[in-house]
Amino acid sequence: MNYDVIVIGGGLAGLTGAIRCAEAGLKTVVISAGESALAFASGAIDVFGIEQDNSFVECPFAAIRHLPSTHPYQKVGAASLQQGLTFFTEQMAAAGIQLSNFGQQNHGRLTALGAIRPAWLSQEGADSLPLLAPAEGIRRVAIINIAGFRDFQPALMAAGMKRHPGFSEAEFILADIKTATLNINTRNAYELRSLELARTLKRDLFSQPNGINILSSALQKAAGNADLVVIPSVLAVEGGNELIRQLETLTGLRICEVATLPPSLPGMRMASALKQRFRQLGGMFLEGDQVLCGCFAENRLSSVKTRLNPDMPISASHFILATGSFFSQGLASDRHHLSEPVFGLDVDAPDSRDQWSDHRFMDGKPHNLSHFGINTSEQLNPYRNGQKIHNLYCAGAVLNGFNPVQEASSGGVAIGTGWFAANRIIATMPQAEETC
Amino acid sequence: MLNTIDTSFDSCIKCTVCTTRCPVAEVNPDYPGPKQAGPDGERLRIKNPALYDEALQHCTNCKRCEVACPSGVHVGTVIQLAKARHGGFKKGPREFILSHTDMMGSLSTPAAPVVNIATQLKPVKKLLDKVFGIDQRQTLPKYTHQTFRRWFQQQKAQQNRFDRKISFFHGCFTNYNDPTVGKHLVAVLNAMNIGVTLLKKEKCCGVPLIANGFFDKARKNAELNMGQFADSLADSECVLATEPSCAMTLRDEYPEVLHVDNHAIKERILFASAFITREFAKGNKPDMTPVNLRVAYHSPCHLIKQGGVIHTMELLNSIPGLEVIMLDQKCCGMSGTYGFKKENYQTSQNIGQGVFDQIEALNVDYVVTDCESCKMQIEMNTAHKVLHPLTLMAQSLA
Repeated sequence: MNYDVIVIGGGLAGLTGAIRCAEAGLKTVVISAGESALAFASGAIDVFGIEQDNSFVECPFAAIRHLPSTHPYQKVGAASLQQGLTFFTEQMAAAGIQLSNFGQQNHGRLTALGAIRPAWLSQEGADSLPLLAPAEGIRRVAIINIAGFRDFQPALMAAGMKRHPGFSEAEFILADIKTATLNINTRNAYELRSLELARTLKRDLFSQPNGINILSSALQKAAGNADLVVIPSVLAVEGGNELIRQLETLTGLRICEVATLPPSLPGMRMASALKQRFRQLGGMFLEGDQVLCGCFAENRLSSVKTRLNPDMPISASHFILATGSFFSQGLASDRHHLSEPVFGLDVDAPDSRDQWSDHRFMDGKPHNLSHFGINTSEQLNPYRNGQKIHNLYCAGAVLNGFNPVQEASSGGVAIGTGWFAANRIIATMPQAEETC
Repeated sequence: MLNTIDTSFDSCIKCTVCTTRCPVAEVNPDYPGPKQAGPDGERLRIKNPALYDEALQHCTNCKRCEVACPSGVHVGTVIQLAKARHGGFKKGPREFILSHTDMMGSLSTPAAPVVNIATQLKPVKKLLDKVFGIDQRQTLPKYTHQTFRRWFQQQKAQQNRFDRKISFFHGCFTNYNDPTVGKHLVAVLNAMNIGVTLLKKEKCCGVPLIANGFFDKARKNAELNMGQFADSLADSECVLATEPSCAMTLRDEYPEVLHVDNHAIKERILFASAFITREFAKGNKPDMTPVNLRVAYHSPCHLIKQGGVIHTMELLNSIPGLEVIMLDQKCCGMSGTYGFKKENYQTSQNIGQGVFDQIEALNVDYVVTDCESCKMQIEMNTAHKVLHPLTLMAQSLA
């Protein structure tokens, strides 16, 4: 079988690149070994939010100019990164998810532990706070849970928020809404997880003509006159943002949903929207299969072998490797070595294990290993035994030279590099229709 | 003594992705989902068999949990084996009737016209509902009077004229219920200069037997089939199946679930579209005329599991004039014998609703799917006729 483009990895980077290729009319397949890390993510996109000294970044595009030349952003360039993010926002809108930002500034998003993380794009249901003055205009915060839901703890979140100077003086209202109030029938402990709650609410509450009103009055009663109402993201996967907006209209309150422990509904929402777009554009999503190895000749990759059909290699003229970092098994380690398990690409890492991490686990300093990854050319081509592979591009967390958590840059790197790789491919393919 | 418990289920990182993708958990709150039923429950069951949870009966063995798992855990298999080990299958007369497809087929085909009329009569359906618990709202599959094997007898001489040969594992449905797909496979392969032979003898692949807990019988069938494959592969290139669940069982379930070793010939057991697209890639493509239709393609769970949707889509996309819309990959809810059982009827319908709604919202001439069980469910619940991809390809042959 022959494709124009094979994308290995169905996460944020892979799907962004794949959607771009499919949109340009290229015959594209994504091979994904199971669900990606998106299902565990916040459903917000960060670009660059935290400097080396742990201070927040307000204007990411200005800040990334000062990054070292090995950083993926320096290879992609600010202009391409911005185009990629615009493209991504448009694609999400086409799939029914509106992403909002604060002009050209980062905003703050609340986490379930009460931390404020810088983000560039957030879904509408997640309230955007001004990054440097998140508590502006907020004197009373209500944190409201559905009674029995264990993956969200209002008291823990309040304690986290209070550590922020702006919120230290705020009044916190912590409350539960009883399942009986919502007329929902949960009989088993497992029904009190985020997705199961969403399904139960859909079945027992939102199917009723006045269902949303029951919820809105319960919220109103619990929240009193709070300036900000925080609820865990358990209302719905599809259409969850619209529900929050409806509740805001009905209650007159400012409501913010926060992603909980996995499964994260805003993350799932984003993952399914991306897959839906890819399929609508004619892409083939091959899930549950895994690329085992590739066939290389003259510094080019010609085909890949997969676990399920090893004797039927799939060939393509271009490839994107977007298999993620250690968590997603795009990078592997044993006691002495770090490796890239699919093609055995050259990984940039020190030989001595002592240099992989700091001896102190949580002293606020980043560990070296989060910088490790595949070393690429300026065009994101990797090397194999020192030889550059010309038709293979790497994107997302598998790349070296950046620290997604410490910098708050994982979303931007995934989208920016996925977009960049796709455009490099499109530029070399005469049959691609230029649409952007 | 060595501890020989298989603990590969402990690669589970408890991410819950499998449960988010489980079609049963989505509609039936009595099912705790594959994470709890599979790897979580397995820890408890190893500790104390009394901790076996009856809720495992709700699993349909669709395998979507395994497709979604980012850690490579065989969640569905863990659940099936636990059901077998802990007496989790209710093996009554109904289960026997529904799962012994080849036995029922050989009994019913000689009297097919009578059987077909009888099984559509309301009083008979009511009786089957009351006595056996086979839901009366389901349309029962019809039997063919002339089995596929009998039809094939007349083709033998023609097939011997080809230099290249494949063995066709027709499965129960093609032989006893509707031989159409088998006939179309023969036509398509002949147009590609490949002849077809049948195994001297074949038994049900075992998929309904596994789903109803008749593991010993399934293993016996597997051993017989493996012997037949070994014989037939001496003078044919490979064994093809047109039914995704048969192909999955022969390739994956034999070693994983039934512990019947097939590694020596596994790569020569293929789903038909995989073989055909591999031939296309080698340049062996028959002349095809346009089939000017707009169709919606539904991906069967067991084809997704074996990574075969890519091959069927390649086959469909090679048919000139055909416009193929790929439906969102949701389960139709039938799951072979599952949807026929009275207690599962509503769950089965609720699962399938997502597929039915998508189809009704599209303006298509036909629905296309590879699986006979999906076909039954979709035809029963939408206004559309469902075709096999090979039927469209046969139509396209010049």
